[in-house]
Amino acid sequence: MNTRQQIDSLFSGYEKTAGLSDFMEELESNLNDRIASLKQKGMGEQEAFDKALAELGDISSLADDLSLKRKQDVFSEMYMKTRNYISPVRMALYVICGALIGFGLITGVAAWLFSSVLDAFLGTALIFCGSGVLVVVFLGLTQETSANEAMSWKRALWYVLSVGALIFGVFVFVNAYFTKGAGLPVAIASLIPFFLPGMSLGVFLILTEKDRSKPWVAELRREAVKSAMHPFGSPGREERFGLICGALWIAGIAGFVLLTITVGFKFSWLALVAALVVQLLVQSAFMKADGKRD
Amino acid sequence: MEPKLSSDLLRGHTDTIVLGSLLGQDRYGFEIYNRILERTGERYELKETTLYSSYKRLERDGYIISYWGDETQGARRRYYRITDKGREQYLQNKIDLEFTQKIINELLKEDER
Repeated sequence: MNTRQQIDSLFSGYEKTAGLSDFMEELESNLNDRIASLKQKGMGEQEAFDKALAELGDISSLADDLSLKRKQDVFSEMYMKTRNYISPVRMALYVICGALIGFGLITGVAAWLFSSVLDAFLGTALIFCGSGVLVVVFLGLTQETSANEAMSWKRALWYVLSVGALIFGVFVFVNAYFTKGAGLPVAIASLIPFFLPGMSLGVFLILTEKDRSKPWVAELRREAVKSAMHPFGSPGREERFGLICGALWIAGIAGFVLLTITVGFKFSWLALVAALVVQLLVQSAFMKADGKRD
Repeated sequence: MEPKLSSDLLRGHTDTIVLGSLLGQDRYGFEIYNRILERTGERYELKETTLYSSYKRLERDGYIISYWGDETQGARRRYYRITDKGREQYLQNKIDLEFTQKIINELLKEDER
């Protein structure tokens, strides 16, 4: 095994960043010099190699100092850790909430069927399902995922308030509409005190929402936007593409008008379809040429 | 009783030793390592990784800068050059060390009495 292979195998578990390749090259030249100097002192090839490697020392502490990351760490940081983000307490709470919502629905329907009063269902469902949903909303928003950072719990509480008001508003609306026999006008009026503020708060919160994406998501998004903004590589190609498309559609619409006058609408629309087909072909030709160039 | 070189004590001064070896000229890893071996009569069991950690630390703090040599054959060598900030740090470390040595001597003298 030569020095290069030895170094490669030492660092095979680490993500190969530019910094690491630099360092491996530095290491290689120094190790080779050290081996040469040991051989000059009369050591055999293999002995010199082994001694130089022994002198190198522990590579893992060095990797920490160079803040190198193991490949699997990088991978798991990006994709694999979703499950790990959910703590056991949260898992338990999710399950309890699911059970609570299910319980609310079942008992609500049962109460409704037994009493044949809609109120019975609404009341039961509101208490159990409503509280379940609110806790799930809170947990969901404050949950860190592989793609998003967690929301602050204060902000999440505002969302809970908004959703709570919405749910209660819907409940009051349905209640007023069906059970009291008050009819639609009263029911609609009942939307004002709860549903409307809840919705306003929700809209305000969504509009003022900050981007909570993790760095790697933001990076992906930046790249996607960049490639979407320059689909055909150079500005010159984009301009040519625009001109061809312009000419194409002028011809297509002119053909459509002409054919409508001469042979009627029955066949003239085909001109537009033909233009669309050619447009797609032109686009694919530009894309393919672009791909070939890279 | 035979005196032994305490590698642990020396390791604490790796940064200063590296800075000191760069005072006169730019050097690359093997030169610095070899210089230490020669000056200690190969008695100091220094691991090279200790040195690399030191280079990175010193470079990050602006005490040294590194650059690739223009070797035409074989692997390139990475040279280190001391900065003005590094020279200052070296002098500071040196007087600190001398001062500390004096105090240690004082302390040990008390013990022997």
